[in-house]
Amino acid sequence: MNFHDHIDRSFDGQLSPEEWEALQQAVIDDPELCREYVEKRWIHALLEAESDSLPALLEEKQWVRPAPSTKPLAWIAAAAGIVLFGASLVLFFHGRPAPVVATLIEAENCRWAGSDLPTVEGAGLSAGTLALTEGMATIRFASGATVTLEAPGVLEVESAMKCRLVEGSVVADVPESAHGFTIDTAHMEVIDLGTRFGVTTTPLGNSNVFVFEGEVKVKQGDSPEAKHVFAGDSLVGDVGSQADTAHGDQEVRRSESVPSPGDDWTPISTAIGRGSDAYVRRGDSHGPTGGHPLLMVKHTELAANNERRAFLTFDLAAVPTGAPRDAKLTLKMESSGLGFSSLVPDSRFAVYGLVDENAANWNEKDLLWSNGGPLVEDTISQATARRLASFEIRKGAPNGLVEVASDELTAFLQNRPDGLAHLMIVRETGEADKQGLVHAFASKEHPTAPAPTLWIQNAPLK
Amino acid sequence: MVDSPPSPPTDPAENYLVLLNEHERALAAYVHALVNDRLDAEDILQSCKLVMWKQFSQFEPGTRFLAWARQIAFHQILNHRRSAKRKPLYSAEPAFLEAVAAEIDRGADSLSDRSEALHECLQRLPENQRRLVLLRYYEDHDIAAIAKETARTEAAVYKLLSRIRASLNDCVKARLETTTA
Repeated sequence: MNFHDHIDRSFDGQLSPEEWEALQQAVIDDPELCREYVEKRWIHALLEAESDSLPALLEEKQWVRPAPSTKPLAWIAAAAGIVLFGASLVLFFHGRPAPVVATLIEAENCRWAGSDLPTVEGAGLSAGTLALTEGMATIRFASGATVTLEAPGVLEVESAMKCRLVEGSVVADVPESAHGFTIDTAHMEVIDLGTRFGVTTTPLGNSNVFVFEGEVKVKQGDSPEAKHVFAGDSLVGDVGSQADTAHGDQEVRRSESVPSPGDDWTPISTAIGRGSDAYVRRGDSHGPTGGHPLLMVKHTELAANNERRAFLTFDLAAVPTGAPRDAKLTLKMESSGLGFSSLVPDSRFAVYGLVDENAANWNEKDLLWSNGGPLVEDTISQATARRLASFEIRKGAPNGLVEVASDELTAFLQNRPDGLAHLMIVRETGEADKQGLVHAFASKEHPTAPAPTLWIQNAPLK
Repeated sequence: MVDSPPSPPTDPAENYLVLLNEHERALAAYVHALVNDRLDAEDILQSCKLVMWKQFSQFEPGTRFLAWARQIAFHQILNHRRSAKRKPLYSAEPAFLEAVAAEIDRGADSLSDRSEALHECLQRLPENQRRLVLLRYYEDHDIAAIAKETARTEAAVYKLLSRIRASLNDCVKARLETTTA
C-alpha cells in the first residue's frame, strides 16, 4: 500500500475506515513513516490552528501579521471566574513581541534619522523603518537576502522576504534560498528571481531597477503584467507622468531655506521674474523638462544618451541698482533616483555663463537636446559660453547645499545688458560604469528644497 | 524593545498569560496535529488552557512551558477520546496517538518555529492556490464542496491540495534552514 499518499489523504477525509486503520498501524510500526506523518501533518495542523488568520495572511499586497485570535477571550472570560485579571493583562494578547526578521550587519559612518528600529551594528530588526541620512548600512534578512541602503534613504523592513524602499537607493544580493524576495516602491514591486540588483526611488515617484546579475520580475502600479529584467538591463519608472502626478498632489512649500550670507546680499532664485530652469538629456526620451522638480546632470562616455546638462536663468531686475560686488550660486543637491553613487568617483562640475544671445534665448517649455544647438555641443565654444567656475562633489557626499563663487562669475553678472543671467551646469567627470550616479539639484518646481539661487552683494552705498 | 524582554512578572496570572501567549500557536498546532476533527480540537484546546491555569502552581518556572503544556494537552486528548459521545470519522488509536506525540516531542524545537515561516510562505502562493487554501481551511469546506465550487474533479482538488501542502512544507523547511544557518 502507498502510505505516503495515504498520509495526505487522511487530512482531507479521503481514506476508507480500513485504510485509516492500516495507516495507523503502519505509523506505529515504522518510525520513518511516523516522522513523515508528523512532518506533513504539522503543516495541515498549523493551517487548521490558524484558520481564522488565513484571510489576512493570504492578503496579496502587504505582509500582515496575523490578527491575534479572538478565541482566547472566551476562555479569559471563563478564567476570570477563577481569578481577577487586571484589564491590562488582556493586552498581552495584542502585544506579542514583534518577530525579528532581519539583522543590521554593517553600519558604516551612519547617521540615522527617524528610525523606529535599533540602529547599532548587530541589532535584530523587526518590522519597522530605517531612515539613513549619512553612510551606508547593510541588512541581512532572515531569508538570506542582503540589502545595502545608501544614504540618504528610507527603508521599511516588512518581513524576512520583503521590504519597501520609500526613498533612496539599495543594492540587493539574494541567494537561492530567498528567491521571491521582494522590494516594493511606491510605483513598482521588484521580485527577485535569484540575483544581485539595485533599486532606486525618489519621493517624487520615479523608481528604477538595475539588474547586475540574474533576473528580476517587476510589477508596476496596478498592472497585473510583470516585466522580466535580465542581467545588464534596467527598467526605468515612468518619470515624466508619475513625477508630475505626485507633484500635483503636493502642496508647494519650501521647508528648507538657504541662510542669507548677510544683510547686503540679495537672493534671486530661478522662480523669480523671468527666471527659469531645465535640463536636457541627449535623445530627449522624456521631452522638455522645464516642469520637472529636479535638474539632472551627468557626463559619461559609456552611454551617450545618458548625458545631461542643466540650464538656469536668473532675472537680475530684482537687484538694487549698482554693480554686484560679489556673487555666489547655491544649488541644493537631491537624489536623482538614478544610478549608484558607489560607481562614480569624486565629480567636478563646471558653471558656464552664456554669452551667445541666440543660444541664451532658450525656453524651458520646449528646450530639448535636439533644439539646443550650441548649448549641447561636446566642446563648448568660447562664442557660446564662458567657463566661470567649478565645484566638486565627493563620492557618497550627503545631499547638502553646493555653493559656487568666483571672480569670473561676479564679473559676468556685472555685465548683463538684458538684465538676465543665463548659466549652464555640466559635469566634467565621466564614470567607470554606466550605472553611475546621475547628480541632481532641486529645480524651482521642487516641493520642499530651495530652488537654484544666485546671491548678489551690492556695491556699498555711498 | 526586542532585545530587552520585560523583567519576569511576579504575578502568577500575568506570568501565565505571558507564557501562554508565547507558546499558544505551537500548542494549538500540537492539538490539531493529534485530533482529526477540527471542532473537537478547538474544544480540547479551550479546556486545556483552563486546566493549565488550574495547575499552573505546579509548573516549575525555568522548565520548558511548552513541554509541560503538551503533556497536559495529551491527557486532555485521551480524556476527550474516551468521553466523546459521537465518534469522529477517523478515531485515533491510543497507540497511534502515543507514537505521533512522541515523534512531535522529538522534533518539537524545529516544529514550533514553523508557524512564522509558514506565514511568509503563504504569501508566495499563486492566486488560485490561495483561494483553495481559504476554501479548505478558512471556510472548512470538504473536498466534494470545493470540487463543485471550483469546477474541478474531487481527485484534482485533492491532488492540488496535497501539492500545496507539500510546497508549503518545502518552503517552510528551506526558510528555517537559512535562518538557523
